[in-house]
Amino acid sequence: MDCLHKSSKIVVLVMCGFLVGGLSAYNIAHSAEDKQDEAQSAQPVTDCFESRLGGYSSVTRVENAVPKYGYPNIKCSQTTDAVLWYGDPFAGTIPMGEMPKINDTTQGDFANAVVKSREAHLMNFLGPDGCKTCHDGKIVPYPKNKKPRLLGMHQDIVENSLNLMHGRGAMWCLDCHSATNRNKLVDRHGNEISFNQPQKLCGTCHGENYIDWRAGIHGKRIGSWAKGGKKRWWVCTECHNPHTVQITRFNRLKPEPRPALPRGMKNADYERVGDGGH
Amino acid sequence: MSKEIIEELNEAKDVQQGRREFLKNVCVSSVAGLVATATPAEAVVDATNPDADVTVEEFFQGHFILMSDEEKKQAIARLEKRYSAKYGKKTTVSDVEAPDGVLFGYALDIGKCIGCRRCVHACVKENNQSRHDPEVQWIQVMKMPKGNISFSADQLDKGYPEKSEFGDYGVQVGGNAYKTAGFSTEDAQNYYQDDLVPEKDFFYMPVQCQQCEKPPCVKACPVRATFRDHAGVVLIDYNWCIGCRMCQLACPYQARHFNWGEPNLPAEEMNPKTHYFGNRPRMRGVMEKCTFCVQRTREGRDPACMEACPVGARKFGNLLDPDSDVRRVLATKRVFRFKEEAGTYPKFFYYIG
Amino acid sequence: MKTALSFAMDFGSYAIKGGSKYYAWLLFLAFFILVGSYTAYQQLTEGLILTGATDQVTMESFFANFIFTAHIAAAAVLVVAPGYLYHRKDMKELAVLGEIVAMVFVATGITFILFHMGRPDRTWHMIPGIGFLNFPNSMLSFDTIVLNVYLFLNLFGVVYILYKKYNGTFHEKEMSRWFTAIVFLAIGWGPLIHIVTAFVLASNSRISPWDTAVLPFAFLTMAGASGPALIVLIFLLIRKTTKLVIGDPVIDLMTTIIAWSLGILMLVFAAEIFTVLYSGTEHAASMKFSMFGHNGLNMFVPWFWVIMGALVGSFAALLFRKVRHSYNLLLPLVCFVVFAAILLEKPMILVFPAFSPSPLGEYTEYHVTLVEFFNVLLVWALGFLFLTLILKGAIGILTGEVRHDKSSASSQVGA
Repeated sequence: MDCLHKSSKIVVLVMCGFLVGGLSAYNIAHSAEDKQDEAQSAQPVTDCFESRLGGYSSVTRVENAVPKYGYPNIKCSQTTDAVLWYGDPFAGTIPMGEMPKINDTTQGDFANAVVKSREAHLMNFLGPDGCKTCHDGKIVPYPKNKKPRLLGMHQDIVENSLNLMHGRGAMWCLDCHSATNRNKLVDRHGNEISFNQPQKLCGTCHGENYIDWRAGIHGKRIGSWAKGGKKRWWVCTECHNPHTVQITRFNRLKPEPRPALPRGMKNADYERVGDGGH
Repeated sequence: MSKEIIEELNEAKDVQQGRREFLKNVCVSSVAGLVATATPAEAVVDATNPDADVTVEEFFQGHFILMSDEEKKQAIARLEKRYSAKYGKKTTVSDVEAPDGVLFGYALDIGKCIGCRRCVHACVKENNQSRHDPEVQWIQVMKMPKGNISFSADQLDKGYPEKSEFGDYGVQVGGNAYKTAGFSTEDAQNYYQDDLVPEKDFFYMPVQCQQCEKPPCVKACPVRATFRDHAGVVLIDYNWCIGCRMCQLACPYQARHFNWGEPNLPAEEMNPKTHYFGNRPRMRGVMEKCTFCVQRTREGRDPACMEACPVGARKFGNLLDPDSDVRRVLATKRVFRFKEEAGTYPKFFYYIG
Repeated sequence: MKTALSFAMDFGSYAIKGGSKYYAWLLFLAFFILVGSYTAYQQLTEGLILTGATDQVTMESFFANFIFTAHIAAAAVLVVAPGYLYHRKDMKELAVLGEIVAMVFVATGITFILFHMGRPDRTWHMIPGIGFLNFPNSMLSFDTIVLNVYLFLNLFGVVYILYKKYNGTFHEKEMSRWFTAIVFLAIGWGPLIHIVTAFVLASNSRISPWDTAVLPFAFLTMAGASGPALIVLIFLLIRKTTKLVIGDPVIDLMTTIIAWSLGILMLVFAAEIFTVLYSGTEHAASMKFSMFGHNGLNMFVPWFWVIMGALVGSFAALLFRKVRHSYNLLLPLVCFVVFAAILLEKPMILVFPAFSPSPLGEYTEYHVTLVEFFNVLLVWALGFLFLTLILKGAIGILTGEVRHDKSSASSQVGA
């Protein structure tokens, strides 16, 4: 009887010891994780890109752009510098401008359409005269015809101007860029088209995509979902680079980090491909 | 919410208010201590402020839908005060109703999706999810092999019909016979981490709450903390949820996520524009899920995931408006609903444009 | 009122008296209650994050154990039913013990559900009137009603019989009609809690292993095996250590029920395995995961085969007369194996692997945490503590050691 009491007491004590030790070790391990996580929250990223990598799609974060909620205009990813979130979807936009009416079901909702100004970007980059700073007919004379020739400049845009892949040789730079006004695009009737509205030019050939775009199916629009609401439209060249379209249709992007593995899982190696059937 | 349900809820409303008043008076003192222990301190946010504690009134508040307008106002005021104190910034909690004549729908082009997961993290930024322990993300992106990846050319002639002593079974074995191809959750990778996306030979499919017309989660909830509003969005009253997770069991899209512990939401990342049923900070032990950004969409704004998508694969709009983007997609593209066989009739459509 | 008080006093004081082994057992349970109180406090303050549950495997051990307690609670009917339906006199006297088992394990199951809930402090939201019970849409609302009604039916039955016997006013033949009606209701209600619990699981079509019509049958047969297994163990212990007479025929009847239940369970398993594996559609993925693992994830595989082996083995063993009549060695051993196998089948075959593959094709293993484990032990220890105390007191009344006449005198002396 005594013996039983004593031994049971010892067993209880030992079990208690194990338990308290185990639990405290567990707690310590957990709190260490927490501290590590807290240390990671870093400064917000300020210079971000929108759809595709490249200088002209970069946006700068402005703090308190929406004073009502203390929002910045954008929030960016810590890992990829991509714009993830719009506090103010219309920051830095201008009205899209006149759009041709098409009287069928593809009639677009352009009442409150705004776009990011691409012309302004050119002016910022090259000065108030934009491309005309050089292409003024004097420093660089106006070309006589649209025939392809080897260019000494702009290799960063098109590596070999004799090998422009847009249209697979059927067209050349001056089919889209105005020969006499480099700050404008030009369609095949000779009408000048603003860089802010490249869709008017692209749509002349890519009609099907243009019609989808007008209907809101192709491309991206943000702002309001409501009919007639204010929407920021992405124009063709904000996503597609017309100069490299056959070589790299899109630059591949760095993805955002993956979700945390479920607690207790050490890896996701079971996610192997092509092992179906078993 | 359908008319019958509203009537049913209204009937329960009067009885409920009176009895709850009684219960409140009886239990105030005994529960005060319980509530205090139920909200442990958080390092990042200011929990030392007494205003940041859950009040007894909040503990005893009823189902938001069943509240009178006066009670709703008080509940909102309580929450705004508590959140503002806890996160150290002016927080608004809206209870704006869904617009009439609207049925929200979503369409996603899996032909365009590149699997960059920007929508996932945009959603986290907008909707005040717990950032870690538990990490809550309302969108999950599946990476699936295109048809040509699992078939290898050198295996082409290796397949043969299985033989038996009675002749061929007519069952193909060997070679590429049992390789999967294309759309299959069986071979989906949810934890892919590639350097660049899209990976060659793969396509991507983001999944979030499909806002079903016949939501199994709403059926399963024992206290009707989750319900469908008249714009077709399935919402949750976080203060009414009891954390039984029956809805999570019922959901065939793995769209519902649980706050297993006290959510970790850094004060500086907290989005102060919130909605009662949407992105207001949640508490431990309640369910949450995509609401189509109810705090945005009820005010006419697009959801955060749609605005973040760099390739324009996501389309959102009013299913009752034939000129909306979504209706245009439905009219012109071949759309399908994910897990059609579950009989849930989602308002989230996938298409290959 | 005075009688009621002395009933409670006598019942309680008899229940806590016992030999050193009795106290050692209580101490053993108390240890887990003590430890469990600490871990339960942790879980209540920090949340279910301390368990192994994830958004992928959302049901933890508490839910699995709840299903098992429903098994036992429902099976206690098998002690009551032979007495009242087939008028077996020896069983009728023991019926109250069966009701005690039912009552205690329904309460244990409800405690498991409280541990399972993310917000146990909001349980009142389910009470119609002050809250909102989503009846009849939610299967969980059915289960809540069914479990609570069963709890109170049994609680009432137990208190009524024991109190009457304590007063010496319990006469089988003069038993009032309404009480018989309640007993019959309780007998019918037993399988009901079980079927409804099976429907709670089967209502989730997304989880293909649960989305099967054989689930209620599997549950009923497993209840028929695990419940009587526990009851045989309890009866063997009671007749060895107390003066209460429990004849061999009672044990034999229980053993027969176990054997039959296991036999039918084999058929149910075979039917399910055949139906799923023969066509080999995507619904077979989860069972294949249980049986063979998936791309290196195979923590559930040994559990599957060991538990299946244990069930088949115990069924085979119970076919031998020698085993069935080996009341002191083989029978309790087999009963223990059946009990443990079905207890472990719940988390390791029924619940955890069922979540793989998830609707998005994820496979997830489940690791029970320390806190979760001790919380499970806490609830079981509480259950067994109450079971021990109530059974002890009830035996005192059944054997006549606790009686009103005698005890009122002794309590006066004590006062």
